[in-house]
Amino acid sequence: MARLLDLAISAILLAGLYATMAYGLGLIYGVLRVVNLAHGGVIMAGAYLGWWLHDRLGLDPYLSIPIVVVVAFAFGAVLYRVLVRHLPRGAAGGPASLLLLFGVWLVLRNGAYLLFTGNDHALRTSYSTRALPFLGTWVSVNRVAVLAIALVVPAALHVLLRRTYLGKAIRAVAQNADSCTLVGVDVERIYTVTFGIGTALAGLAGLLSATLFAFNPAFGAGELLKSFVVVVLGGLGSIVGTAVAALILAVIEVFAILVLPSYLTAAVGFVMLVVVLVVRPGGLFGERVLG
Amino acid sequence: MTLAGREPPWRVLAGFAAVVAALAAAPLLLDAYTQNLFTLAFLMIAGALAWNWMGGYVGQVSFGHAAMFGIGGFVAARLMLATPVPAPLAWLAGGLVAGVFALGAHPTLRLRGPYFSIATIGLGEASRLVFTYWERFTGGASGLSLPLVAGGKEALYFWGLALAAAVTAASWAIRRSALGLQLLAIKADVDAAGDVGVSSTFLQDLVFVLSGAVVGLSGALYASYFSFIEPNDMFGFDRSISFVLMCVIGGIGTVLGPVLGAIVFVLLRQFLLASYPQLYLGLYGILLILIILFEPLGLTGLALRVRRRLRRKPPRALHAAGPLASSASANEEGC
Amino acid sequence: MKDRAPWRRRSFGTVALAAILALAACKSRGPGAESKTEIKIGATLPLTGSEARIGGFYKEGYDLAVEQANAGGGLEVGGKRLPVRFTLLDDTSTQATAVSLADRLVNGDKVDFLLGTYASHLVEAQSTVAEQNKVPYVNGGGGATQIYRRGYKYLFGLLAPVELLGSTLMQWIDGEQQAGRLPKPSRIALVWENTAHGKDFRRGVQEFAQQRQGAYPIVVDESFELDGKDFGALLGKVKASGADLFLADAHLPDYITMQRQYVSAGLCHKVVSYGARGSEKGAIDALGPDNVLYILSAVWWSPQLAERQGGLAKDFVEVFKAKYGGRTPEWYQALGYETARALFTAIQQAGKVDREAVRAKLAEMKIPSLLPGGQLSFAADHGQQAYYPFVVQQNLPGGRSPLVFPKEVALAEGVAPNPRCAK
Repeated sequence: MARLLDLAISAILLAGLYATMAYGLGLIYGVLRVVNLAHGGVIMAGAYLGWWLHDRLGLDPYLSIPIVVVVAFAFGAVLYRVLVRHLPRGAAGGPASLLLLFGVWLVLRNGAYLLFTGNDHALRTSYSTRALPFLGTWVSVNRVAVLAIALVVPAALHVLLRRTYLGKAIRAVAQNADSCTLVGVDVERIYTVTFGIGTALAGLAGLLSATLFAFNPAFGAGELLKSFVVVVLGGLGSIVGTAVAALILAVIEVFAILVLPSYLTAAVGFVMLVVVLVVRPGGLFGERVLG
Repeated sequence: MTLAGREPPWRVLAGFAAVVAALAAAPLLLDAYTQNLFTLAFLMIAGALAWNWMGGYVGQVSFGHAAMFGIGGFVAARLMLATPVPAPLAWLAGGLVAGVFALGAHPTLRLRGPYFSIATIGLGEASRLVFTYWERFTGGASGLSLPLVAGGKEALYFWGLALAAAVTAASWAIRRSALGLQLLAIKADVDAAGDVGVSSTFLQDLVFVLSGAVVGLSGALYASYFSFIEPNDMFGFDRSISFVLMCVIGGIGTVLGPVLGAIVFVLLRQFLLASYPQLYLGLYGILLILIILFEPLGLTGLALRVRRRLRRKPPRALHAAGPLASSASANEEGC
Repeated sequence: MKDRAPWRRRSFGTVALAAILALAACKSRGPGAESKTEIKIGATLPLTGSEARIGGFYKEGYDLAVEQANAGGGLEVGGKRLPVRFTLLDDTSTQATAVSLADRLVNGDKVDFLLGTYASHLVEAQSTVAEQNKVPYVNGGGGATQIYRRGYKYLFGLLAPVELLGSTLMQWIDGEQQAGRLPKPSRIALVWENTAHGKDFRRGVQEFAQQRQGAYPIVVDESFELDGKDFGALLGKVKASGADLFLADAHLPDYITMQRQYVSAGLCHKVVSYGARGSEKGAIDALGPDNVLYILSAVWWSPQLAERQGGLAKDFVEVFKAKYGGRTPEWYQALGYETARALFTAIQQAGKVDREAVRAKLAEMKIPSLLPGGQLSFAADHGQQAYYPFVVQQNLPGGRSPLVFPKEVALAEGVAPNPRCAK
């Protein structure tokens, strides 16, 4: 029983991490229909930025959240303006967007190599290993923070999307970009802002990762793949779906250790990805993706 | 027009035969290192061309082809280690099993565009994890060592050349044939293609199996070439990406594209690495970005533009339609 | 219609032209000069990629050895002093590159001998090139025993088998158990990264446990992926198993991540080890000195051997510090240095820059060495892989990590059971 409780808590914390990783990817896809393969690279860049701020300026990672978010937003906005804008829209743009953003990811990786070398870095604060007692077990303080942020982000996004003009415009553009142009919405500006928010969320996820893990320039690949699984599961384009899907993935991966060797529990997510795509391609909450 | 009904292009066939003959005679001039580089290039050419059948002809971009590459390699390696089967048969067996494995991915063929690509990522990664764990098949993370074949690498040069030539010829033949046109129709609009009588499910399965089998075959020769293979290298995401890179940089959907892309991929690494090891990642990235934005047909597209410029023809607005659609235009140019 | 054919011809012509240009670009300079004026030695190391950190350390060792060799004008070979010309290339931690570059060094640059790269899978792949071309290949970077089970004649390895890492740790643990400081039986939770290194470590522990029938039941035996991020479920399994000893094998980033999660989860075992990892400065910085206390690690060499063993180990530490600004070397630099030195010694013993002669000298080599035990040889019954004991360190309070095992080199008594668990 205690074992199951332990696993459940583990799963919830892991879900928080997965959700935080996946929001940015989901948002960009939901509105722009672009699969952001540079997502992993931005996560890695966010981690490095957070580390650098801590190492050089002594800034606590949680205090650097605003900085990293703003920088990542700016990066995303510029990326959109300069590169992504030129991609053809719609399904035909699919592979092209994948490849373009993959190219951006490679450049980011190389940049990190040049700036920081390929060595592993870790961010240590006084509370890196601090844990809180909870229901008979210990939970890492950083993990709880990640979970909290994972819950706050969808709430914040909800407020943004439902209560602000910008949010309404974003939703409208996601539904039908051409009609938006007709009613005077600056679609390109909306795309720029959305892409920026997406990369800002990725940068945030990277910063939080830096508090948890050691990382190097190759960091982000595994996170990207997991994010795919979450976003597809949750239905591309649904933020709440992403959160729930993160929980489902985390629960399955964590409890799989009861029946599978630990090494293979990672494969479970990928198998689920394929099964969901084939059986219910809209994900659990989203729209249809066939044809 | 691109279809049957024209006279057989003797000049093309003659040119192709000449190149193959020249390459076959090349070992007399080349030192061992260059010869080995060529062998590796031949294997990559075959693999890239085969990937291109799915990614360029049918338009289903796969990020998981490493699974077939790895299966081909390990099946052939296990056969050669456990039985006295001669290498070419072991290679064929590897290719066959890889093709059958591709058949198992049949359900994903219903997906289109990025969804198919994402599904292949899932398949590729799941395969990597499972096969790395499956020690009895792949030797686990330690990998498998094959006995060295005396004078082996020279023989592999010719086998590799034969494979690359055969796959190039096949790619070109498919392109020109009715099959090629049907694949183009599927790429353009699978539903409409079905409406006009193209059996898209069967054809996609067929191409996926052939593509997987040939990639598996190249994986098998790769195993013999290195005499040591390990699952993270064979099944890794980087391996899958390399096929995509070769075809996109060279010119997706064309015949010449994967060939050029594979050559560039193999040779560029060698030269870059010696002088600027830190740069090759970034260079590929920049190349990708430039190609997607400006010349979706990659190096082949550039070459076509140059040729058109030389013949004083008006430039074509290829890039607006995206890389996959524009390769149809390249098809008309005979590439 | 007609202009398509010339295009095809032209395109294949382009391909052929490209091929010829490539050929011209990389055609070698022709056969090497008959009278040797220098000794050409080639090597690759992972200077970028996943093994870059350690690759860089090996480079320091190689560079130091080459510098020393050339200090007096070169190696004394058959009455003449021939300088060593060392070509080091970056294999980016990938197998295909390591092999291609080795091919280029041998067949393009026509080096006389090869020094090895770092990481077992790279060594295993690269050594095939050396064997096929009959070039002596001396490496300090491949510890997996399967590398040396292929009957290769030109391959020589200075890294002792990784199984010995596992069994040496177990030997120390066994000593503690027999002294009554650890329970009998002691249940082991064995967690290993799924790489050649991890597998061999696991085998070393398993074989030792099997021999001591019943004294070391292995209650958890799980692998994890290199650069895995979340070990929550795995550590949960360890916790639920009620193990006494926690033995893991991990690279540095996984060690840091796992140990953090281990501490946060409130776990504590009577013995904790991460294989060869434990006392790295990078880990202490990332985890904090309190969180690495009493962790044991077994390594191929330690700078403390300079004190305990003296001789060549001491000389090496001094020379290294002199060249690298007072920094203390660790096992990577020592292995790199000793690997190069072994090759240089063989060349001098052979008296000529001849591959067969040098190979023969390496095969029968028995020289004093900075390695634990003080001797270096490449015994044929180990496939020409050096065989010597590991040394075990433990992180003790006060920021020290003294050697605790074997007795001959120990500077302090190891501590078991882990005092942190008493709380």
